[in-house]
Amino acid sequence: MPSTDRQQAFLAGVRACIPLAPGVLLFGMVCGAAAAGAGLTAGQSFALSWMVFAGSSQIVATQLFAAGAPGWVIVLTGWIVNLRFMMYSATLAQQFRGESRRSRWLAGYLLTDQAFAVTLARVLDGRRDIPWFYLGIAAALWLYWQIASLAGIFLGARVPAALSIDFVVALTFIGVLAPLLRNRAMAAAAVSGGLTSVFLVLPLKLNLMAAALIGAAIGITLEKLWPTSRSGA
Amino acid sequence: MADIAIWGVIAALGLATFATRLSFLALLGEGELPAWLRHILHYVPPAILAAIIAPQLLAGAPGLAAALDGPRTAAALAGFAVAWLTRSTFATIAAGMAVLWGLTLVQW
Repeated sequence: MPSTDRQQAFLAGVRACIPLAPGVLLFGMVCGAAAAGAGLTAGQSFALSWMVFAGSSQIVATQLFAAGAPGWVIVLTGWIVNLRFMMYSATLAQQFRGESRRSRWLAGYLLTDQAFAVTLARVLDGRRDIPWFYLGIAAALWLYWQIASLAGIFLGARVPAALSIDFVVALTFIGVLAPLLRNRAMAAAAVSGGLTSVFLVLPLKLNLMAAALIGAAIGITLEKLWPTSRSGA
Repeated sequence: MADIAIWGVIAALGLATFATRLSFLALLGEGELPAWLRHILHYVPPAILAAIIAPQLLAGAPGLAAALDGPRTAAALAGFAVAWLTRSTFATIAAGMAVLWGLTLVQW
C-alpha cells in the first residue's frame, strides 16, 4: 500500500476511536485509581497500565494485591483473564500476513477488545486497509488509556469514600458482560462464575481462578447439551 | 508484598499478556487455534467478569453466609438493564451510580 493510503487508513482508525473515548477514559481512570488505592506506588500503578494494558486483568491483579495473594496466583489469574487475546491474535494475524515484523509486534502489544471488535467489523465490511486502520485505532486507544490511568492514579485518592466510587468497577464490568450474554450457555457460564466467587472460599485467593474455570466448564458442557447455543467467535 | 516482588509480578503478568497477544501475529498468521481451546477461551470472559462483579454486591464477605447489599444490588440491576439496552459503558455507569447514590441518600 502506498504511504499516503497507509496514512489515511491510520487516521481513519484514530477517528474511529473517538466514539469509544468516554468508556475507555472512564475505565482507565478507574483502573488507575484502583491500583493507587490498593497501595501500589504511582510508578507501579502506571506500570500495570502500560505493561499489562488490559483493564479487567489490571483490576483482578489490583484486587489480589490488596487481598495479599501470593505473586504466582496474581500472575496466573491475571493471565487467564487475558487468554482471550489469543483468539483475537489468530484472527488478526490473517490480516497482517504481508506486514513487517515490527508492525506485527506493535499490533500485538496494542491488542484490546475494543480495537479488535471495531477492526473486525471493518474486515466483515470487506475493506482492504485493515492493518493500518487497526494500528490507528489501537494506538489512539492506548494513548487514551495511559492518560486516563495517570489521571486516575493522581486524582483517585481525592474522591470522598462516601461516593462509593469503587462501585464503578462493578458497573464497568457489567457493561462489558451484558453484551456477551447472547445465549443460555454464556449466561450459565456467567451465573456459575458469579455464584462460585460468592460461595466458594479457597485458600491463597484462588477463588477467581476457580470461578473462571468452573464457569467455563459449565458453559462448554451446556453448549454440548443445547446445540442451539453454539459459540459464535 | 515487598516492593521488588510487586515489580516482578507486574512484569511477569505484562510479559505473559504480551506473549498471548503476540502468539499468532508472530507466527505470520500460520496455524489456527484448536477447537477445544477456542471453546474454553470463549467461556472464560463471562465467567470471570461475573466472578469479579458478584462479591461487590455483598453486604459482607463471601462465604456460605453471604448476603446481598440492597442498594448495590439494585444499582447493579439498573446498570445491567441499561447495558443490555444501550451497550454503552458510560450510560451503564451513569445509571448504576445514580441509583446507588439515590438509594444511599434516602437511607435504604
